[in-house]
Amino acid sequence: MSRFNTFISFLLLSIAGSDSFAQREDTPLRVFGYFQNSLQHWTVFEKHPAQNSFGLQQLNLFFQKDFYRNWTAFVNFEALNSFSSSRRWGALNLEEAWVKYNPNMKFNLKLGLQIPIFNNLNAVKNRTPVLPYIIRPLVYETSFGEFIPLEAFVPARAFVQAYGFLPAGEAKFDYAVYLGNSPNINADPKNGQTGVDTTTAFLAGGRLGIRYRELKLGLSATHEKSNGFIGLADTLGRQPAELQELPLTRLGGDLSYNLANFSFESEFIMVDVHDGIPEIEFALDFYYAMLGYHFTNELFGYGSYWVTDAHAAVLIPGDGEIKDEDLRVSTMGIAYDLNDRIRLKGQFARVRDYDKIKFVSQNLLEKQQDKFNVWAIAVSVFF
Amino acid sequence: MMLRIATIVCLLTWATNSSGQVVVIAHKSVPLDTIKKSALLDLYTCDIKKWSDGQPVIVFDLKSPSEVKTAFYNYLGKSSSRMKSVWLKKLLSGEGEPPEAMNSEEELLGKVAATAGAIGFVSKAYVRKNVKLLLEINAEKKQE
Repeated sequence: MSRFNTFISFLLLSIAGSDSFAQREDTPLRVFGYFQNSLQHWTVFEKHPAQNSFGLQQLNLFFQKDFYRNWTAFVNFEALNSFSSSRRWGALNLEEAWVKYNPNMKFNLKLGLQIPIFNNLNAVKNRTPVLPYIIRPLVYETSFGEFIPLEAFVPARAFVQAYGFLPAGEAKFDYAVYLGNSPNINADPKNGQTGVDTTTAFLAGGRLGIRYRELKLGLSATHEKSNGFIGLADTLGRQPAELQELPLTRLGGDLSYNLANFSFESEFIMVDVHDGIPEIEFALDFYYAMLGYHFTNELFGYGSYWVTDAHAAVLIPGDGEIKDEDLRVSTMGIAYDLNDRIRLKGQFARVRDYDKIKFVSQNLLEKQQDKFNVWAIAVSVFF
Repeated sequence: MMLRIATIVCLLTWATNSSGQVVVIAHKSVPLDTIKKSALLDLYTCDIKKWSDGQPVIVFDLKSPSEVKTAFYNYLGKSSSRMKSVWLKKLLSGEGEPPEAMNSEEELLGKVAATAGAIGFVSKAYVRKNVKLLLEINAEKKQE
């Protein structure tokens, strides 16, 4: 422990002793952001009738200030789904508030609330002007957060992150390591301060990658401990302590490549709970691939395929249930840059949802299939 | 009449040749005398934001499409739309800023000459002694 303290003291003194503290030549505060408005048509699905809806899918407001030389502060507010507090629509989130120490590109240290690097898309999932999609690959579609547990698939926030790259000829080796809270966050004021981690466990994760010319690939992983299964203690006849802080890991991989006018991107994510408890099975998988073509400097077209598999089982002899949900989306779309600030988008998505639930006691297998399509047009504006 | 036509042809030929030769220029304070393509790409994609002596890199670009601009980005192996996407991604992640784009080569030359740590590109015909010439793109291509 004393060695750790010495290291931290040395690190802080090194930073404090740098020339960044010697002068104060701050740049002015910059305020910028973007929003995306869309018109979507959803065909009939489950019990919902067909619907046509305009919406302000997302608005992000950034505040950035570069301090002398090596320091940058950044704040990101995000409003989702036509946010209105008086009407109780959508959500307003403080997504990022960090300060970055950047002596060189080989090493960056980011402190504060931030979206960690995981695979290719996580850190930029909310930057709608950069992405050609209206509906993003599902685990990155923030506006679906009200009904898809996005944070189970990808790490949503970290508080300390070191990242950068090491050049080797034309290749660059990327690295990122971070720490954040476990998913056991208190949301009930009756139990004390909200927004705090109720355990001593941390989320730890990182990505190692390589870039060579137009090729980019990487492997990502996270480890955290979840209290999300404690509610099953009575059903399983176990002590709550046995279901406390179950280890949850995510493994991800990403590959992207540009060749002439073609762009290719793909990712996989596998989430598992390694609980050592035979009665519980929990696994989430996600894959996506996108092939796009730049018809002109302004016009980009793409086709993409996404697969989300969720497997959850509570296995009790003579009882219990096993649930599998497979969501498959094939989609195609275009993005057209009207100018440097405005991007028009169009997208069609064909969604197929396959559910299977096996009720062990009745030896009954229930299958459900739902099919629907989504048509969407949108305008993404950077200001 | 023939003389006038010959003069116009000569001028057009000279203009075509000079615009085909793109050069990378830098402010006199930049601690480099030559630059490789990979290093140039690192500067234009905001991967490298400081020179070896610690002064910030200030990158300049041309606003409207031109032969010079196309030749420069072709040399880097990136289309201008790809570069825009890289810059926007960096900007929206708080990781960098797009280059300041100038209306003309003269303006770009003036900016580079007047801004410590600056780098840019112009036709060879525009080069003056008040900037450093780091790279002649056609000459470099032949070397490769």
